[in-house]
Amino acid sequence: MLQVRGLNVRYDKSHVVFDFSVEVEDGKLLAVLGRNGAGKTTIIRGITGLLPGASGSVSVGGRDMSGWPAHRRTRGGLAYVPSGARCFQNLTVDENLEIASHATGGDRSWTKKRIWELFPKLESLKNNMAGGLSGGERQMLALGRALMGNPRVMLLDEPTEGLAPVLVQSIGTLLGTLKSTGVSILLAEQNHQVALRVADRAAFIEKGRIVEVLPAARARDSEVLHRILGV
Amino acid sequence: MTPGQVLLFAVGGLANAAYLFIVAAGLSLVFGALRVINMAHGSLYMIAAFVTVVIGNQLGAGLGFWGGMLVAVAVAGAIGGVVEVLVLRRVYGREHLVQLLGTYAVSLIIAGAVRIVFGANYRTIVSPIPGHIDLGGYSYASYSLFMIAAAIAIGGGVWAMLYRTNLGRNIRAAVADPDLLNATGVNVTRLYTTVFVIGAALAGLGGSIVAPSQAVGSSIDTDVLVLAFAISVIGGLGSIVGSAVGALIVGMVISFGLVIPATNPFALAFVFIIMTAVLIVRPRGLFGLPES
Ligand SMILES: Nc1ncnc2c1ncn2[C@@H]1O[C@H](COP(=O)(O)OP(=O)(O)OP(=O)(O)O)[C@@H](O)[C@H]1O
Ligand SMILES: [Mg+2]
Repeated sequence: MLQVRGLNVRYDKSHVVFDFSVEVEDGKLLAVLGRNGAGKTTIIRGITGLLPGASGSVSVGGRDMSGWPAHRRTRGGLAYVPSGARCFQNLTVDENLEIASHATGGDRSWTKKRIWELFPKLESLKNNMAGGLSGGERQMLALGRALMGNPRVMLLDEPTEGLAPVLVQSIGTLLGTLKSTGVSILLAEQNHQVALRVADRAAFIEKGRIVEVLPAARARDSEVLHRILGV
Repeated sequence: MTPGQVLLFAVGGLANAAYLFIVAAGLSLVFGALRVINMAHGSLYMIAAFVTVVIGNQLGAGLGFWGGMLVAVAVAGAIGGVVEVLVLRRVYGREHLVQLLGTYAVSLIIAGAVRIVFGANYRTIVSPIPGHIDLGGYSYASYSLFMIAAAIAIGGGVWAMLYRTNLGRNIRAAVADPDLLNATGVNVTRLYTTVFVIGAALAGLGGSIVAPSQAVGSSIDTDVLVLAFAISVIGGLGSIVGSAVGALIVGMVISFGLVIPATNPFALAFVFIIMTAVLIVRPRGLFGLPES
């Protein structure tokens, strides 16, 4: 379970995220939806502990991680999949997975072997430099790297951005599978259709504030979806 | 020049390249991972040279050197750790000028401390590997050959550390994306300290190894720093291979430059002419990382 209370984020003097509070229960997925610049990435990075200008409390599985540096939060079961399919470009695919394998949050059920089963394409590329992979392959690698830490909570920043429909579909399926194993997921997306298909609830963000939280079923054709995302 | 002379001076050049490589590799490793140019790198080299001479002589000729070296490398590494925690942590991510001033201040403090502790006189230590090997009418100091072998071994060790250990993998990851590394569960703060200690220990190893072959005085910090910079500019900061190639070029230019009568007064100038030429043609050096 992920609990965030009163998250505020400032970049130098500009206040970007205001009093963000959410709870994501075990096996549930919260979609965080908002336009460009609404503050989705900043919310996620604020939760990871990577932003010095963030305040508020974060707990994972009941353990209060407020004030912890990012690496400890990760080791405590909080995985972050940044936008843009970020990987260590100068490391091999294999090394990109190995480097995350010490972070054992919950059980140790995720192994490299299971990542290869999940993404067979990656195994055939395991000795290639990550920098030479396609965008889709790098996104699989970024997901695989996060899973190697056996997270209880995953924060995903636009994981389907720029991917082919087939891959978007399989990432959706993967998120469904992860939910069924009890992982709590916070998913920031511009692609609300994909997000709402796997989400349990949706939080709508405007100018750094939550303006509405709705069950996914009601969010799909809600007034707020039309108003905020302009669809 | 006869072929015998060429070989003689080439071995002299290799011996120069050997200790310069060890020092430059440390400078380069620190820059690659931390993006900080350490102006105090030569100071750590100088401290280690003094400690080697003083402790080595205390322990006795010959074998005493090895004890001195052990202590010297440990002292350089430990000072490096303190400097990283007290100074460098405050300047990461700041403008290069702030970083240069910060580490320059450290080098001035160390230079002052060395003069107080060890005095202004030159000191020497006898070679732990005496004797020479005669070949083609010339004799080669065994210690020079040891220095060359040691540099090759240390270069191999650094390479194996970087490409065959988890620590090295983490260092390479930190070069590419320290933020992502943090979010992957690696304590990057501690990793930076470790890298800086390794860099400082390499400076110390260089200072220690060079001690039996040169007089050790209180200006060797800037002497070696200037050459290590030239090597890094030529080879490219952040690349161990670049350090090796740069050290070879500089070592050879100094060796041959000094023995050819016409070039003798300008031997060091040639190093900087080459450095300038590389800067013009390839600003990031022969093997350097692109600026990020
Ligand atoms: N490093 C930074 N320094 C200052 N302001 C920033 C910084 N990063 C983001 N911002 C500002 O914070 C606000 C929120 O940005 P953020 O990237 O979190 O939005 P987002 O919802 O993720 O947008 P997108 O959908 O385009 O990814 C924007 O106004 C942005 O300009
Ligand atoms: Mg974003």
